[in-house]
Amino acid sequence: MIQTIAFYLFATLVIASGALTVFARNPVHSVLWLILAFFNAAGLMILLGAEFIAMLLIIVYVGAVAVLFLFVVMMLDVDFAELRAGFVRYLPLGALLAIVLAVEIVFAIGAWSAGAINMGARIAPVASDVSNTQAIGQLLYTRYIFLFEAAGIILLVAMVGAIVLTHRKRGGVKPQDIGHQVRRRPEDATRLTRPESGQGVEL
Amino acid sequence: MTDLSQYLPILIFLGIAVGLSALFVFLPMGVSRLTGTHNPDAAKLSEYECGFPAFEDSRSQFDVRFYLVAILFIIFDLEAAFLFPWAVSLQDIGWAGWTTMMVFLAELALGLVYAWKKGALDWE
Repeated sequence: MIQTIAFYLFATLVIASGALTVFARNPVHSVLWLILAFFNAAGLMILLGAEFIAMLLIIVYVGAVAVLFLFVVMMLDVDFAELRAGFVRYLPLGALLAIVLAVEIVFAIGAWSAGAINMGARIAPVASDVSNTQAIGQLLYTRYIFLFEAAGIILLVAMVGAIVLTHRKRGGVKPQDIGHQVRRRPEDATRLTRPESGQGVEL
Repeated sequence: MTDLSQYLPILIFLGIAVGLSALFVFLPMGVSRLTGTHNPDAAKLSEYECGFPAFEDSRSQFDVRFYLVAILFIIFDLEAAFLFPWAVSLQDIGWAGWTTMMVFLAELALGLVYAWKKGALDWE
């Protein structure tokens, strides 16, 4: 009973905030609606018993990806009049994407009504006596070791790519070089002289 | 469908948090209305003393370096997220699983060394 109520609450909120993500005029509001959708999707995952995925949704998607989206949206220098222009120009592409998504939904419903395939249960039967997080750990680091290491390589490539794309040396800045400061001896910096009276010091 | 009664403490915490924050917002409003100090005026909302009218729209462009910091944060956030199931199931997966995670950590440590050497972690 309470599960059903919670499911319909979360599912309705996911769909509503997803729709508002699309229809919001202000891109920043879109991202905020997207964050709400992530939270409610995490609630749905908890209802399914996938606690780890739920926590990952909140930590990674809400905590990091949504913040990145906000940065991107704010860096775009959004001009609202320009955003609304070009509707006719992008209409064919948008319609094509909509048709593809509709066909995919039809296929998904067809596959669903054809019966469960249970591919996952054949390859990796779910152990029922351990928690969800533990079950993921038992498979991810042993059976799916190559996929896991490939994920690490992808993250490494993403990191290198982000640095190559966005990092550039800036001229005209004077950064602090602590090693250089510590290496400097008093003899390099100061000079003791004993000038005669009436004569200046030659610098 | 899972047993939701284990999440009751979280619901209680959420309820207390919402109640407390609502109290902080609405209690001063209610008190000011009841004691007669509620007297809204346009001048009260304007800038005064140490404030000044805004020069320009706040929606200006950011430096792209914020984006780089956010991307690096996501990557190490994911690395930390992968540590949780590993730590929980370390009893069952043994040395093979331990080595797997060490290789994964070494891959990302390589990335950290690269970022450090390129100066991507420095602001200036």
